[in-house]
Amino acid sequence: MAEKYLETKQNKSINSLINRSMRSGRAQNNILIMLILIISVIMSFAVPNFLSFTNIKVLFMGFIFEGIMALGMTIVIIAGGIDLSISAILPFAAIIIAYFFKAKFDVIPAILLTYLICAGVGFFNAWMINTLKVHPFIVTLASQLTVRGLALAISNGKNVTSDFPAQFSFLGQGSLFGIPIPIVLFIILALIIGVLLKHNRFLQQVYFIGDNPRAARISGIKVEAFIYFVFILSSVLACTSGIMTASLYNNASNSYGLNSELRVITAVVIGGTDIVKGGTGTIFGTVLGVIFMSLIYNAFVMAGINPYYETIVIGAILLLAVFLMNFFKRKI
Amino acid sequence: MKMDNSLLRLEKINKSFSSNKVLNSISLTIESGTCFAVVGENGAGKSTLMKIIGGIYRPDSGEIFMHGNKVRFASARDAIHHGISIVHQELSLASNLSVAQNIFCHREPVNSFGFIQWKKLYSDAADVLQKMGINIDPRAKCGDLSVGMQQIVEIAKAISLNSQLIIMDEPTSALSEKEIDHLYKIVQSLLDRKITVIFISHKLNEVFKIAKKIFVLRDGNLVGEKLTEETTREEIINLMVGRPLGDLFPPKNTNRGEIILSANNLKRKGVFNNISFTLYRGEILGFAGLVGAGRTEVARAMFGADPIDGGEIILDSKPFKPCNPRESIKRGLCYLTEDRKSLGLFLSMTVRMNIIAASLQSFVNKLGFYLFGEIKKQSTKYLEYMQIRPFNDQAYVINLSGGNQQKVLLAKWLCSNPKVLIADEPTRGVDIGAKAKIHRDLRQLAENGTGIIVISSELPEILGLCDRIVIFREGNVAAIIDNKNLTQEEVMLHATN
Amino acid sequence: MNRKYIDEQNSNIVKELIPSNLSEKSEVSRNRAFNNILKSILKSREMSLFLIILVVSLIMWIQKGSIFFSIKNFQGIISGMVYDLFMAAGMTIVLILWGIDLSVGAILALTSVITAMLMRSGVSVPIAILLGLLAALTAGFLNGFLIARFSLAPFIVTMAVMSIARGIALVLSSGYFISGLPTSFAFISNGRVLGVPIPYIVVLITLIVLDFLLKYWKFLNQAFYIGTNPSAAVLSGINVRFVTIVGYLISALLAGLAAIFMSSNLAMGFSQFGQGAELRAIAAAVIGGASFSGGTGSILGATLGVILIAIINNGFVLLNGSPNWQQAVSGIILLIAVIVDAIRTRKERRE
Repeated sequence: MAEKYLETKQNKSINSLINRSMRSGRAQNNILIMLILIISVIMSFAVPNFLSFTNIKVLFMGFIFEGIMALGMTIVIIAGGIDLSISAILPFAAIIIAYFFKAKFDVIPAILLTYLICAGVGFFNAWMINTLKVHPFIVTLASQLTVRGLALAISNGKNVTSDFPAQFSFLGQGSLFGIPIPIVLFIILALIIGVLLKHNRFLQQVYFIGDNPRAARISGIKVEAFIYFVFILSSVLACTSGIMTASLYNNASNSYGLNSELRVITAVVIGGTDIVKGGTGTIFGTVLGVIFMSLIYNAFVMAGINPYYETIVIGAILLLAVFLMNFFKRKI
Repeated sequence: MKMDNSLLRLEKINKSFSSNKVLNSISLTIESGTCFAVVGENGAGKSTLMKIIGGIYRPDSGEIFMHGNKVRFASARDAIHHGISIVHQELSLASNLSVAQNIFCHREPVNSFGFIQWKKLYSDAADVLQKMGINIDPRAKCGDLSVGMQQIVEIAKAISLNSQLIIMDEPTSALSEKEIDHLYKIVQSLLDRKITVIFISHKLNEVFKIAKKIFVLRDGNLVGEKLTEETTREEIINLMVGRPLGDLFPPKNTNRGEIILSANNLKRKGVFNNISFTLYRGEILGFAGLVGAGRTEVARAMFGADPIDGGEIILDSKPFKPCNPRESIKRGLCYLTEDRKSLGLFLSMTVRMNIIAASLQSFVNKLGFYLFGEIKKQSTKYLEYMQIRPFNDQAYVINLSGGNQQKVLLAKWLCSNPKVLIADEPTRGVDIGAKAKIHRDLRQLAENGTGIIVISSELPEILGLCDRIVIFREGNVAAIIDNKNLTQEEVMLHATN
Repeated sequence: MNRKYIDEQNSNIVKELIPSNLSEKSEVSRNRAFNNILKSILKSREMSLFLIILVVSLIMWIQKGSIFFSIKNFQGIISGMVYDLFMAAGMTIVLILWGIDLSVGAILALTSVITAMLMRSGVSVPIAILLGLLAALTAGFLNGFLIARFSLAPFIVTMAVMSIARGIALVLSSGYFISGLPTSFAFISNGRVLGVPIPYIVVLITLIVLDFLLKYWKFLNQAFYIGTNPSAAVLSGINVRFVTIVGYLISALLAGLAAIFMSSNLAMGFSQFGQGAELRAIAAAVIGGASFSGGTGSILGATLGVILIAIINNGFVLLNGSPNWQQAVSGIILLIAVIVDAIRTRKERRE
């Protein structure tokens, strides 16, 4: 009784291929890849040593901590939420672990305890969202202010510089086969999370939850439990960034991560994740967004352009990205 | 002891929402392997009853039995475990994921690491679909599919869950002719597999085509249980409406005034074409036709809410070019939206703010400040006139019953003193009493000189209320007929084909 | 705007508010009517906030009476509040419209830099101020236009505009303070009328006028309709696009005003002004009753929100709390307000 494939909007013509990829957000990714290549090529001509190993290292290190947090933010946004507290968790983690070291804790216990505390913040965020039904924006905004305040209070507004054990420095300053550890970590995390998001049943749930939470619940998905997972993951990644930043600079400062939530969200949005609807987005897209942002920031430095133009350019790019996404959606 | 082999048996199910009694001691039996229809007017309780069977609501009292055993569903999931699935009007698919993923949501085949086994997933899905006699690419993204096919995916999901009973809520309301045919075939294949189907519908032709037995609900009561082959459409309609049509509809108007609006050759590419009609003062003109025939689309385009590609409109002897709702309202053309909750009312605001919402300009002084005395006066006037309960213009609309909400919506448009009012489904989701009142109000409005167009999917309403009827078919005007002794069959004849 | 459930009793009582041609007026029912209005004022959110402020002030009086209630202390509190008040008012309007404006802090910086630079290059003070405010309005127009015309997400648009505005401020000023401003400019913040500093007067008038307009002027009041149900607003003939753009223009203008006063007070223009201001404004507006899903909010409430946060911070400092706890305290206040609000909404829903 097999009939031939029913008429879906899936024609094999070029036009509808374009239509389909526009809808799937792949167009956005493709444009991004093209832009990355074009800019890289231009820069490699404009600036000597742009594509040198050293510069590539610097390029990625300039945005790597935002990159790590962007991985978590992607899943949060797909689930239909947002996490503004990461920009406070970063310095908070740095300061806490610095104090642990001041108190002569060993490296491993200090790290574990710091993770525990930061996971607690994520837990709190999720709890407010699940149980009190508060909007994620407000919750994470409030916890951002609070956590940042706590960090300020604990550190008395000063940097915490001292007593970082030698082994700890390896995390931020060390390299593996010439690649700085933070970059290695990002690659590993991106691969793991990306693969899991695509193939693991548990993580795949996020697409159902983001698209239609009511239907997801009826299908048996434990939405509340997943929200806990997602926000704790986001906090843990922010904590990781904070710990590595402290390790990198042998210093814990309250100014770390300032406004990073906006850069992180920009990278995720540029990468094609829809912040308005939820239910779409890929780690691959986010990685592209991270690469793109790193490229722009580095291009500024290397081309000697006034760094103050950075924020203007990033803002303009974000507007363009959002405009295009909206334009593509409208066309369908 | 009587052996209860029925698939599902309901005994004395009662349900109320706040003080509103929605279901009154409903008892019925569903045998397996047959197709049942549940019909009734809006607000009769069909949806609520299905949701109770499907575990979404819990009955206030009464019992549910499956295969003779008492069951109690704590949730929709629970009901699914017992083999009951509902395919809702609002589809619950993740549009960004594939057909296969949606069918096996949360039950995808995985290996020991929790990784989805894609090949098996797709082949399992292809299996289910093939057994239904449908071949949709399991890899296709649900968002790419048409509504009809999305519905099929939902049905496939229910089958894969080993449902013994599949409930469909108005399954054909958003489908094209071809898709409806497909659906019939699928329902047949379900029956062949001994899966029971219940569907809610207000389209009696479909009911008579595929259902074996019809349950008629009216005002929360089960007023009729008829085998399709033993009854007629008229009998079912009578049971649904419950009173001679006369009570429900005020007398029609035989004298009409001059032309208040004439539409000539309206068209919008891909949506409607060659729409022409005239509207006289003092008459109620009906727009009949199947869903998707273009009635609402024409209305919205005339109102300026949607684009229009061509044609002329003469409103009150002057040419009128619809550009946006604001201009239309200024010219006196008003449109009462189909969906009162999402498009018509401001639920979290007060009754008085809703009533003045479309005529704000008349309630401000020269500097643009509100004239509260005038607002109070007018809203109280409409509260009285439309018999809105509770009698409080500061009540929040969200707390009102459906019927009262609809009255507020109508009051909003009356307050703007329209020359022409297009009322889209003016009595949807409204109890009988409020229905009759709204009909009287519309007739009164017509007699006072306003031209009224009523769009309705309830043929009895169109026939009972309107003086002339424009019948739409697939984006065109199929016929314009005076409503003298017109029958539903005639209308449906023009509307289909 | 609480969501109250009207039950039988209430509707009976309210019937008595209807004028005499519909029900008999009697002494008893007139009293009951008055009681009812009183009850609704007392139950209002603004009253709760006011009471909380009283309580906190009471605590402070007990603890540090003379210092807390000194003119000097009050002046310190109020002068710090001025800028936040402007921006919280603007944020309230935008939130009512179901939007958000993350760019206010950056617009503040931009305005202060442009105004200062113009003045330093010899442009007269009034013209410089005008041009600075014009820059603010341009940013506000960009926000409003993109959001209203293309239906882009307000969060993203204003975030992008924030970046751009901050960036322009940075580029123009190269990151430096812009000082050396004409002394006449300082008059704006230091000058007094009848003994009251000008900024206080301006902000008070602005708040009162805006609150009044929002409640009683049809044009601005439409914001409530738009935020509650944008589609229904369009279909009811409300000019959603225009009002939305105006809303963002107002928000930007108020940020610009704050910039003028700040630059005048600190005698400089600086691209780092207003860091974090948008979050404080959102916090105050939300405490004052605005919601992220639009349709509700009050300028009076936002004002009380700003006052509450300022008093608690001040109290903290006076109680020898470390000033470093200020941030944490603001955050905790917002958390508490959000939690209380959520619990209250849940209770209402249950009833």
